[in-house]
Amino acid sequence: MLTSRTFLKRTRAGAVRKIVREHYLRDDIGCGLGGCALCGGESRPALEARPGGAASSLCPGPHFLLPDTNLLLHQIDILEDPVITNVIILQTVLQEVRNRSAPVYKRIKDVINKQEKHFYSFTNEHHKDTYIEQEKGENSNDRNDRAIRVAVKWYSEHLQKLQMEEKVQIILLTNDRKNKEKAVEEGITAYTCEEYIKSLIANPELVDRLASLNDEGNEIETGRIIFAEHLPLSKLQQGIKSNLYLQGTFRANRENYLEATVWIHGDGEEKEIIIQGLRNLNRAVHEDIVAVELLPKAAWAAPSSVVLHDDENQNEDDVEQEEEKEKSLRTSSSNSMLRPTGRVVGIIKRNWRPFCGMLSKSQIKEARRHLFTPADRRIPRIRIETRQASTLEGQRIIVAIDGWPRNSRYPNGHFVKNLGAAGDKETETEVLLLEHDVPHQPFSQSVLSFLPKMPWSITDQDMKCREDLRHLCVCSVDPPGCTDIDDALHCRVLENGNLEVGVHIADVSHFIRPGNALDQESAKRGTTVYLCEKRIDMVPELLSSNLCSLRSNVDRLAFSCIWEMNHSAEILKTRFTKSVINSKASLTYAEAQMKIDSPSMNDDITTSLRGLNKLARILKKCRIDNGALTLSSPEVRFHMDSETHDPIDLQTKELKETNSMVEEFMLLANISVAQKIYDEFSEHALLRKHPAPPPSNYDILVKAAKSKGLEIKTDSAKALADSLDSAEFPSFPYLNTLLRILATRCMMQAVYFCSGMDNDFHHYGLASPIYTHFTSPIRRYADIIVHRLLAVAIGADCTYPDLTDKHKLADLCRNLNYRHKMAQYAQRASVAFHTQLFFKSKGVVNEEAYILFVRKNAIVVLIPKYGLEGTVFFEEKDKPKPTLLYNDEVPSLTVESTTFYTFDRVTVNIMLDASNVQHQKIRMALVEPKLVGTSVPSQATQLNSNNEPKKKKLKE
Amino acid sequence: MASVVLSEAEKVYIMHGVQEDLRVDGRSCEDYRCAEVETDVVSNTSGSARVKLGHTDILVGVKAEMGTPKLDKPNEGSLEFFVDCSANATPEFEGRGGEELGTEIANTLYRIFNNESSIDLKLLCINPREHCWVLYVDVLLLECGGNLFDAISLAVKAALFNTRIPKVRVLEDEGGREIELSDDPFDCIRLNVDNVPCIVTLSKIGHRHIVDATLQEEACSLASLLISVTSRGALTCMKKMGRGSLDPESIFEMMETGKRVGKLLHSSLQTVLDEEENLGTARKKVGFLG
Amino acid sequence: MAGLELLSEQGFRLDGRRAGELRQLRARMGVFAQADGSAYLEQGNTKALAVVYGPHELRGSRGKAPHAQALVNCQYSMATFSTAERKRRPHGDRASAEMSLHLKQTFEAALLTRLFPRSQIDIYVQILQADGGNYCAAVNAATLALLDAGIPMRDYVCACSAGFLEDTALADLNYVEEAAGGPQLALALLPQAQHIALLELNARLHQDHLPRVLDAATQACRHLHALLDRVVREHLRDAAALLGK
Repeated sequence: MLTSRTFLKRTRAGAVRKIVREHYLRDDIGCGLGGCALCGGESRPALEARPGGAASSLCPGPHFLLPDTNLLLHQIDILEDPVITNVIILQTVLQEVRNRSAPVYKRIKDVINKQEKHFYSFTNEHHKDTYIEQEKGENSNDRNDRAIRVAVKWYSEHLQKLQMEEKVQIILLTNDRKNKEKAVEEGITAYTCEEYIKSLIANPELVDRLASLNDEGNEIETGRIIFAEHLPLSKLQQGIKSNLYLQGTFRANRENYLEATVWIHGDGEEKEIIIQGLRNLNRAVHEDIVAVELLPKAAWAAPSSVVLHDDENQNEDDVEQEEEKEKSLRTSSSNSMLRPTGRVVGIIKRNWRPFCGMLSKSQIKEARRHLFTPADRRIPRIRIETRQASTLEGQRIIVAIDGWPRNSRYPNGHFVKNLGAAGDKETETEVLLLEHDVPHQPFSQSVLSFLPKMPWSITDQDMKCREDLRHLCVCSVDPPGCTDIDDALHCRVLENGNLEVGVHIADVSHFIRPGNALDQESAKRGTTVYLCEKRIDMVPELLSSNLCSLRSNVDRLAFSCIWEMNHSAEILKTRFTKSVINSKASLTYAEAQMKIDSPSMNDDITTSLRGLNKLARILKKCRIDNGALTLSSPEVRFHMDSETHDPIDLQTKELKETNSMVEEFMLLANISVAQKIYDEFSEHALLRKHPAPPPSNYDILVKAAKSKGLEIKTDSAKALADSLDSAEFPSFPYLNTLLRILATRCMMQAVYFCSGMDNDFHHYGLASPIYTHFTSPIRRYADIIVHRLLAVAIGADCTYPDLTDKHKLADLCRNLNYRHKMAQYAQRASVAFHTQLFFKSKGVVNEEAYILFVRKNAIVVLIPKYGLEGTVFFEEKDKPKPTLLYNDEVPSLTVESTTFYTFDRVTVNIMLDASNVQHQKIRMALVEPKLVGTSVPSQATQLNSNNEPKKKKLKE
Repeated sequence: MASVVLSEAEKVYIMHGVQEDLRVDGRSCEDYRCAEVETDVVSNTSGSARVKLGHTDILVGVKAEMGTPKLDKPNEGSLEFFVDCSANATPEFEGRGGEELGTEIANTLYRIFNNESSIDLKLLCINPREHCWVLYVDVLLLECGGNLFDAISLAVKAALFNTRIPKVRVLEDEGGREIELSDDPFDCIRLNVDNVPCIVTLSKIGHRHIVDATLQEEACSLASLLISVTSRGALTCMKKMGRGSLDPESIFEMMETGKRVGKLLHSSLQTVLDEEENLGTARKKVGFLG
Repeated sequence: MAGLELLSEQGFRLDGRRAGELRQLRARMGVFAQADGSAYLEQGNTKALAVVYGPHELRGSRGKAPHAQALVNCQYSMATFSTAERKRRPHGDRASAEMSLHLKQTFEAALLTRLFPRSQIDIYVQILQADGGNYCAAVNAATLALLDAGIPMRDYVCACSAGFLEDTALADLNYVEEAAGGPQLALALLPQAQHIALLELNARLHQDHLPRVLDAATQACRHLHALLDRVVREHLRDAAALLGK
């Protein structure tokens, strides 16, 4: 099998070392062709013996394509298109791609694994006939290009030898002029990607998906250079080493397209650098890893509080105007607000992904170049070339960035996919799922194959290591309409007078076995995502709404946490067991509350509930005494029209005592389980922590409270909780809620982590030294892992390798944290979209609101009735600017003669601003207090008439 | 030191033979044993050579590593020698048994090779005072069949000839100096070994002296003279070894013989090395398998 | 930069081998004349030289020597130039002392030491170039050297390493694969009786995977046995031919 070997010599920088590696060349690597007589039978032929694929005018016969590295890197969108099949990917190319772009590598690997695409990855570097050694005077790029050509030649000779009835051609696709010339010299058929794609007879639309790269050369002559050159990577790395530059993640500002921050992730200490102005931003795009040079202190700026959006109709070459705006950023700011400011000198790693958004069609009718506006405001607009502009107008589309030349105000990109009409509920949901990277494809067959076969029943095998708790009076309490019930409770008096309390959690880990496709998919999804009218399940419905859902009057498998408590809620004994339960009732919070409250009810369930409620009250008091925070964030519920599924009403969620009862026991279970798994697996327990926020986070809260004459202490969670409790303002009862909402904004994100990788376990918000998630395995993957750990700890299940691998666990935590964050954002975006729908039907209304934040040119208000937050701008286009005076010490904003402070009560006018189809938004305008020039008349009717022409425009 | 014990009769037999210019293995007094030289035998070194002289088996590896120049010679690189007398050669060397001999040989090698006249040490400087190449010349003694010094010197010279040092460029930048490595593996520095001397050990047996003594012959010799000779016949170093004594006249005689034999030795070594070099990649590496 | 891909989707390792394949093995017996037995062995780029002296009378203090059987004395050393980064000394450090001990344990299990009471057998192994599996190459080379010396043994001792990566057991790890830090198992086997002379596992490996890794190592050892056997037979044939002339 091993025919020969040669040496690869490599020297690495730093200490120069001679590395020798063996390199075996083989004669058993097949060409991947179905039924190839020379290579012997491939077990799974990837290439078709008679390659189909799109008909090309350039090469009418059947052919295989063989792209080079750069082509693969830049034109992956084309290669992913179903039209392109029968492609050979060389190992040389694959390895280069792997080193240069992880996302593209992943995508091409996915394509190779799709059987219907007929992509074959040929291990040419280990094939005895296609391996070549680097020659004298040749650099590694030249060598790789040559290796690709050698492989192409081998293939064409190989195909000739086969003597197939129909001659099959092999085509090298390369955009490198030199490589192409050399290839043609050597007798290889080679085309550029453009040439080939344009030659496809039946698929002219593919041209749109070509990455626009070759434009750069032409434009240099015509366009004006706007941006400074990016330094090469080697220079950047040197600069970073010598502390000349700083490396960090570029985060564009959502509210102001001319400002961004760069998070420097250095040695332990994290800091933020502000970048202001188009030139200093220097073509960095949100999430890129960039190198930043600090500006001298004199040029430092303060984070601007200006809200600035890139205008739709702006002449794109008008850079001067941009500079005007940049100046507006640096108006009057006290020295204390100045932050380190810098400019981007180079990009270390681009993190471009395909972006959702809409096309802004060019005014010129025949133009092929159009601007694309991404849905995410942090992403700049992208210039694309397409011939289908009129069809794409008004559609949500996906576009990928290809590059950003120095002379271009916007990056260049290409069209990838059309999602559907904008404003359409389906399309918008798809957009927000895509934008938040929520995996939402239906579960694949391989995933579904791991589901239990129906009809399902509990077998004797299942009963091993399981306690029969079906006799207990267990019930569940959930919000109305809940189908994925993952927790149930019971409480009874023991013979010794103590109370036995049980929390029973759906035993999802019984059904999802480690490592199978179902498990992998759930781990990837990480969490169930709840949108306003849609639920993206983490596990298939059979489990989430049936087998794992602890519905009433059916036998269900559960994982129980059972305490023995005395009547003052002190835990005397804790035990965990896998069990079988039979819930006696599935109640809603309201139903449970009613049972507790009505003295006439005295059945088992009610007694049980009353016992639980009594204990919960004590537990809650204990917790709060310990310094747990009660925070608040307005949550909104929509009442949907049952037929159109349009929201017809909107209300904030109401909390009942039973909500807090269930919550108390869930917290208790989570804490008990966290302690247990940590005791058992000190190195690889999956826990959840909530770090204490840095004191500066509270500035806004403290200042705002001060302006109302209240003092908020933030030195500890306990102090904060106490001062929030005492912050009452008799004439203004809602103030306390507002303070709590504001306090919530000051908090850090709670995260999952692996106990072996961290040593700070504290949960700040709950004031618990240790915490985890155990109680919702149907909708959170973290809970499944915790279940598995606990099961191993009590000997109810066996362990498996990845469970005790802390690095894998840490990776998993990273994914879970990411998915949770994204799910949250997606949820908010969904609420925002439905709010828009709601106000669209509702028309214009005036509502009472409170100021949450004061900005330089706007105020952010909260409307308690809808739990809706919005921004009121004081500057408008085409209107004289009012004089604005911003004081960031208080903070306050004086508009003309009216001064606004945080928590001020105002009345605002709410309407849907549909003037911009790209970004429909809720527009708020001040009604009261009245301002000269900016306030709108309180009569809504008048406004409606103003609005009409815009609506008409929409219909056109 | 690795040695054999001979009976009186054996010694007399050897001495009589030398007297007649006919040694036990059939050589004359100025003949070397058949030597096998092969370079590039250890692929992860910068240069290596194996020399087999009779039963004496030497493996030399040269590793080029980046270091800082010595304070008194800011623009020169240096050579470092280490001799490992492996237990493979004889059980006596087990543990720390071979250290004494190893140190003795290494010190001799320092004196002979680590100077300006033998190797252009300036060539090894990358940028003065900051970076230079240090060549670690590691000698591994695998089997001991007499005349260690000569065999080792041949192997060191061959290994230095074989040494390829990667070419580096120093990039000057405001942020400091950065060393960049060439992407082309063929881009490397070779050393000029024309002036690298060889050692010729002359052993006094009876009234005559012989070159390239075997272990048995070494047992009969009470004193020997070690001289280092360049390919042009220049004598660069001299050292008397052994517990016996030498008279001044015979020293001059021995020097003359040494120069004569040394020149021959150099030219035949160079021929072998050049032959190998010309074969290039077509050469079949034998190493220890042949 | 992405790390190295030790096992490609197509099932090839970095050097082009498949998961269960051994590196190229080349060996020669009787390299030196002065020693009682000697052998040179290459497993890929790992090159080992083994020399055997004895059985001969005890050297040094007799106190530690066992009475009824021969003392097996081993020394493992690595040439200073054998590794990518130059070593400061060839032996005497902790790693090589441990390796010497492992060799001693391995061969005490294989040699018929009771045949030579009050005597000593020296096994010296020198690694000339190190590219992973040093212990295994040392054992295999020493086996050949012992056979060359004609010292009675129960069986060949064949050693091979195995690792575990992405749910696949890899046989005969090279340096890059070892350095990746995955689990690593070294197995010395007396192949005919399937007796394990030495077994060592480092880094974490889940118990469920152990059988597969062990199986891979065992397979590799058996394969090695066949290869070593061929080397011995060829050596004997050559020696016999020389004698015949």
